[in-house]
Amino acid sequence: MLSRFYLSLLLLSGLVFIAFITLATYRELTPEWKKYQAEYREMLIKNAKDEAAREKARRIKIEQQQIYLAGLKRVDRCMNCHIGVDNPLMADAKVPFKQHSGDYLKNHPPDKFGCTICHNGQGRATNKKEAHGKGRDTHWDFPILPFKYIQNSCAQCHDYETLRHKGGEMVVKGERLFREKGCKGCHKVNGIGGDLGKALDGIGSQPIAYFPMRHVVGEQTTYNWLKQHYLDPRAIVPDSEMRVFLTEEESDLLTTYILTFRTTEVPREYRRIRYVPERRVDGESLYKMYCIACHSTGKVSVYDEILKRTIPAIMNPAFLKNADDGTLRKIIKEGRKGTQMTAWKSTAAGLTDGEINKLIRYITRERPDEAAEPFGFAEFKTDPKHGKELYDVRCALCHGEKGKGGKGALGINLTNPVVQKELDPEFLARTVRDGRSGTPMPPFGEEGLGLSDQDIADIVSYVRTLAQKK
Amino acid sequence: MVRFTVKLNVVLFSSLLMMFFLTSAPAAQETGEAGEGVSEAVLKLGKRVYEVRCLVCHGEEGDGNSFVKVIRRSELSGRIIETYPRDFTVGVFRFRSTPTGCLPTTEDLIKIVDRGVPRSFMPPHEKSLSLEERKAVVEYIKTFSERWEEEEPCDPIEVKKPDWVGSEISVQKGKKVYKDMKCWECHGYEGKGDGPKADKLKDDWGKQIWPFNFVTGELKRGSSPENVYITFTTGLDGTGMPSYEDSLSEEDRWHLVSYTLKLMGLVK
Repeated sequence: MLSRFYLSLLLLSGLVFIAFITLATYRELTPEWKKYQAEYREMLIKNAKDEAAREKARRIKIEQQQIYLAGLKRVDRCMNCHIGVDNPLMADAKVPFKQHSGDYLKNHPPDKFGCTICHNGQGRATNKKEAHGKGRDTHWDFPILPFKYIQNSCAQCHDYETLRHKGGEMVVKGERLFREKGCKGCHKVNGIGGDLGKALDGIGSQPIAYFPMRHVVGEQTTYNWLKQHYLDPRAIVPDSEMRVFLTEEESDLLTTYILTFRTTEVPREYRRIRYVPERRVDGESLYKMYCIACHSTGKVSVYDEILKRTIPAIMNPAFLKNADDGTLRKIIKEGRKGTQMTAWKSTAAGLTDGEINKLIRYITRERPDEAAEPFGFAEFKTDPKHGKELYDVRCALCHGEKGKGGKGALGINLTNPVVQKELDPEFLARTVRDGRSGTPMPPFGEEGLGLSDQDIADIVSYVRTLAQKK
Repeated sequence: MVRFTVKLNVVLFSSLLMMFFLTSAPAAQETGEAGEGVSEAVLKLGKRVYEVRCLVCHGEEGDGNSFVKVIRRSELSGRIIETYPRDFTVGVFRFRSTPTGCLPTTEDLIKIVDRGVPRSFMPPHEKSLSLEERKAVVEYIKTFSERWEEEEPCDPIEVKKPDWVGSEISVQKGKKVYKDMKCWECHGYEGKGDGPKADKLKDDWGKQIWPFNFVTGELKRGSSPENVYITFTTGLDGTGMPSYEDSLSEEDRWHLVSYTLKLMGLVK
């Protein structure tokens, strides 16, 4: 009885095994590319103009198509399905038989360039899903690029001067956005830039796992992450402090450009980069590149809900009147520790002294002719204790009791090393006396809120002890 | 030794008693006179407090045109909102417990001085000023507008929150009210303050104002259900926010409160 049971079990499992093998063999023998190639051959036969062409079409073998690119270290089998890609007769055919659009293949013949060098995707794969590399289960980090981002591949071999007038407008526009929206104010590229955000070198070659994909809507790809992150940084990275306000179109352009930051480099024989001398960068370009993301026009001070502090107006005439070039240089070079302001000196964010001078010249171009009236801080005998009494009533509401400014406070952080040590107390005293018209900082001097010079000197002396308190 | 401690106790107790009388005396005096005007001493104290704490924004004349003039705040979306200090000379106040068109009660004003106004940078003064000083400064503020002499504040509106506020059914009903009463025209379909009319609003002083974005931040008056309800009932005088006391039933207003709390993420 028992032996019969085992016998039937053996028989059954044998049948299942044979069925499985048969199915697997069948699937292997009829991959989707064979169907496409057969269809392609039918189309050629049907549309042949004369007997010779028909005969030629009949002789087309259905076989694995493969381009081996030794220089690029790639093997592309895309033409298994996209078989009409270099056939002019297929200009109006449907995908996947359609001819490649434009005349790109004239200068980029498939047998020398392949496909994935521009389009990404998994060249070795022989079915659509894996070749396009879409979806997490294909485990492919560089899925096929949508049309709108494709131009980032052009920048691997071509310089921006060429791309500007030869069909690379999108990546050129993206590069311009990158320069003018102040990305490098927070992100380092080649070691130059602020340190609030991540360095962008090689971001286009990063695996998908590098990006926190949790909140991305739709496919989890690098380009989707980048685009959605530009549209609403805090929807993708909840505690992000990124100040970026782009339209949908601009986000696509910037995504195209950012993907050009790759760690891989194509071999020299492929590259067509003309080494044009670097453009002379003026103060305005520097301001846009490094400062504009936070300071925007620099004319008015704004409390920012993203950075959770007030962003000072650095091109406000009242500030420039008081701050001489030396003061500005100190602030720019050392930054403001305890705030988002980076130290821009060459050993930190990487600006040269020459660049900083250019920036200062740009910032101070509207400085009023007459300098601020001197205060003569050194002549006063100061009393920090009296200063504290005044500070607690007059200053603490905006600058905070400990002078830290920050969340919900209109005043700036007074405890950073620049205010505490580097800056001349004379500058601080003049600021308290004259205020900053155009910002909420009122004049506390006799022409304003009526404090005497002695009071102001006391306050300044107290302010300069704030960092010592914990 | 014992006698010494008794003596000490007596001294301490009497000094405490004296302090009590000294501090409570002006308060008693003030409440006694609240009806027929305020004493010179209170106004003098109020003026002193005002000049140190308030003048910097609200100005010597109380017209809000002083050293600060305007405060700019950049929202998460990059929208810059300009806030102007309140002009006391007109006698129009947003945050009242009284019906629309009325003066606020003294308690309303003291409440604002106490807790400040979030997101507008009016700081809270509850800890930095004594109650006496806060009361005095409110009395002083009243001297800027003639309205305070001509009119009496109306009776405050009573608020009794029903138990079902915040329930799912109530939220759904509130959603319908939100749609029907066209709240979305200003506050946006998702309550983000980005409705079709959002950028065309001006306050009584001709300055541009923006409808509240429920998704970020706290209501200026505080985000409790009662405060939301009182806003719907009294309106915010001087702004585009009308009173719905006559156009919506009390029940509907509470439904709307539920939906607002939902938009703010305070109920599920």
